[in-house]
Amino acid sequence: MASEDEVNLLVIVVDVNPIWWGQQAQREPQFTLSKCLDAVMVMGNSHLALTRTNKLAVIASHCQDSHFLYPNKSLGGGDGAADDVSSSRDGKYELLAVANSAIAEEIRNVLSKAEVRGNSTDTLLAGSLAKALCYIHRVSKELEVGQEIKSRILVIKAAEDCALQYMNFMNVIFAAQKQNILIDACVLDSDSGLLQQACDITGGLYLKMPQKIALAQYLLWVFLPDSEQRSQLVLPPPAHVDYRAACFCHRNLIEIGYVCSVCLSIFCNFSPICTTCETAFKIQLPQMVKPKKKKLKMPA
Amino acid sequence: MSALKLCNAAEEDLDVLAPRTVPIRAMASLSEEVLLVVKKVRQRKQDGTLYLMAERIAWGPEGKDRFTVSHPYSDIRCQKISPDGKAKVQLQLVLHTGESTTFHFANENTALKDREAAKELLQQLLPKFKKKANKELEEKNRMLQEDPVLFQLYKDLVVSQVISAEEFWANRLGGLNNAEPTPYTDKQEVGISGAFLADIRPQTDGCNGLRYNLTTDIIESIFRTYPAVKQKYSENVPHNLTEKEFWTRFFQSHYFHRDRINTGTQDIFSECAKQDEKGLKSLVNKGVKNPLVDLLSLEDKTLDEGYGMKQALPSTSNTNKTVKESSNAAIIKRFNHHSAMVLAAGSRKNEVPADQASETSSTDGNSRDSDFFQPPVKKVKLQEAIEYEDLQRENRQKTVALNLKKSDRYAHGPVPLQSQKYTTSQDIINAVNCIRHEMANYKPNLTQVMSSTAASSAIAALSPGGVLMQGGAQQAINQMVPSDIQGELKHLYVAAGELLRHFWSCFPVNTSFLEEKVIKMKSNLERFQMTKLSPFKEKLQRQYLGTNLTGHLEEMLQTAYSKFHIWQTRRMMRKT
Repeated sequence: MASEDEVNLLVIVVDVNPIWWGQQAQREPQFTLSKCLDAVMVMGNSHLALTRTNKLAVIASHCQDSHFLYPNKSLGGGDGAADDVSSSRDGKYELLAVANSAIAEEIRNVLSKAEVRGNSTDTLLAGSLAKALCYIHRVSKELEVGQEIKSRILVIKAAEDCALQYMNFMNVIFAAQKQNILIDACVLDSDSGLLQQACDITGGLYLKMPQKIALAQYLLWVFLPDSEQRSQLVLPPPAHVDYRAACFCHRNLIEIGYVCSVCLSIFCNFSPICTTCETAFKIQLPQMVKPKKKKLKMPA
Repeated sequence: MSALKLCNAAEEDLDVLAPRTVPIRAMASLSEEVLLVVKKVRQRKQDGTLYLMAERIAWGPEGKDRFTVSHPYSDIRCQKISPDGKAKVQLQLVLHTGESTTFHFANENTALKDREAAKELLQQLLPKFKKKANKELEEKNRMLQEDPVLFQLYKDLVVSQVISAEEFWANRLGGLNNAEPTPYTDKQEVGISGAFLADIRPQTDGCNGLRYNLTTDIIESIFRTYPAVKQKYSENVPHNLTEKEFWTRFFQSHYFHRDRINTGTQDIFSECAKQDEKGLKSLVNKGVKNPLVDLLSLEDKTLDEGYGMKQALPSTSNTNKTVKESSNAAIIKRFNHHSAMVLAAGSRKNEVPADQASETSSTDGNSRDSDFFQPPVKKVKLQEAIEYEDLQRENRQKTVALNLKKSDRYAHGPVPLQSQKYTTSQDIINAVNCIRHEMANYKPNLTQVMSSTAASSAIAALSPGGVLMQGGAQQAINQMVPSDIQGELKHLYVAAGELLRHFWSCFPVNTSFLEEKVIKMKSNLERFQMTKLSPFKEKLQRQYLGTNLTGHLEEMLQTAYSKFHIWQTRRMMRKT
């Protein structure tokens, strides 16, 4: 039985890239952003319903910025917001009702104001993860004396990886590892090497959806239990992560290469001068064995 | 002493755990310094001459030029002598291996003297050599005891004759040949308590006698502080006095007691007292090295009369002293001497192993070579006192700055360039409008999130045996193989790794030594495969273990064999 003092915080980062979702709506009309958000809400509600001390946060990750869907500033407005927060008509737990309506309203605001410029069409996932880490950090500081917190981040990813965010991504991953924060990944479309690494390093689960319409089921089955309970369950095995490095000259993935000892840049071929830091290298060539001269026999 | 040429015998390998190797006698001639020659010494009923050399003891029969018996001092464990009452005057040498050689001193007049001379010389020489030989053995034993993996490797390889002991120890004893002691053996020596004599509290015996309890610690402290006493002890015990008698005399002597007034009695310790006096005087004359502690230098120094008053020093002659004053002076002198000896014994510990021969000849305070070094030592001491390391300017080594030209290469990391899907701006606008339109009227509909068929297919995929669960249900191999097999496999890997390391380190084969070694190592590898690996494989097959545990080992050995084969063919081609 979980101790009452332990707070379990789940932060869900949803990728709401409008371009991808717009195209997705045209590809597969039965699974659109609305359905995805419904599934996310089900997951969030289940998490809150498990234990009284569970906490939830939802962040929408966009092309331009990241937005907190829940909790957001308009919450706790008091009686003035009574009209917006419709009192639950079906006897639902108040907290869940408030959460759902907050999320719905926020996402409407976010997407109505969204303007996409042509050059930035990638999701700012690293930024959202950083915000999630900051939120977790803030919550852990605001705890009462004697309370412990265990947190994890669930990333629902739709669009492709952005190579420019690599450094930020790796920093976020290592920061999460240091703080013992799990990063789980649920990938809807194409495999993401960065998220695979994130899950491998922090100890979370990586899953690529075979069926998008059953998203809610996958979320509840695989990602709802926390790390202690996962050891008791039979879950999908971890995927094999490709940790090969890419050479600096051609960006090919290589297994064996040459590394400059000064600047640690990786090359696939040997060159006498490192192109990054311009140090000259000397390599000892294997010694040539001189062929022995044969003695010519003088005819007697 | 004349130098003699003699045949040298190479030292045996003192490896205790390895099977006894036959000693190789190399017939190199060597001239060694002879320290003592004793004629008319019989060995095994044969007349001959005993020679004590710088590093060995040897005996040759009468009239012949060669030596039939020759033992290096490092081989000798101890010497024994026959008791004094016996008619035969004998000296026995016991070797480390357990063998013993007996020499009978047969000269009618000087037998005893000869034997004493030989015994004394041996007494001085043996300790020097004993430490050297033992140290290596001790080190080897210690290493084997501390590391069970190493011990197992040793048993697997050397005891079963796969490789020889020298090769095994070749790379591992590197630290032993250096002069510095290894950290393990460098324990701190225990100093001598200043009160050790006071600790021997005499207890009344009940009937007008005193009982002194002497432990080995106290005896050792006495010996270390007063080397003169040690010398007396080694001279007299066990010939003239038993230990008990020696100590009784010691405590009875005026040397020990407080008054210390030399009554000139025939005491074996009166010499010690005189030596101590001499030592103390020389200590005082030596002065103090450290200028910061030297109180005498703080006196006023005057140049001449008229340039400051020079008080006449009170006379220090003994003539006018009262009895009380002289006994006080004696006590104070005794205290000072005792403290000086205790301190000196503590600092002398480093010189003990090398200096035992000369230790008996000099008491403390004499003949140390510090007199020569007075001015530089003083300068060093002053320098140490006035400079603080922390306050110096930091002397950082000059470093070369890193100069990166294309640092943005690090930013993209190991993400390969993938072909991006190209979306036209029209597509983008369409997509954004579509989504905006959709989400404008978004209302969560949580009762219709998914259909039951979709849910059940998802559950099926996630259940064991489903689509997503492939590849995870394999049992770990260490749960399927019994633990003793695992242990054996580990030993095999360690042994094979060691052999392969020797083999691969021979390449590139430049010298003839490496050639021989590589051929030997290949045969070793084959022998290893035959004697260890194949039986293990058969054992696995008998136990019906299906997993291929030895595949990797065989692959490694095969690579080694093929490399050897290539090298051999190349060598043949070069020779023809």
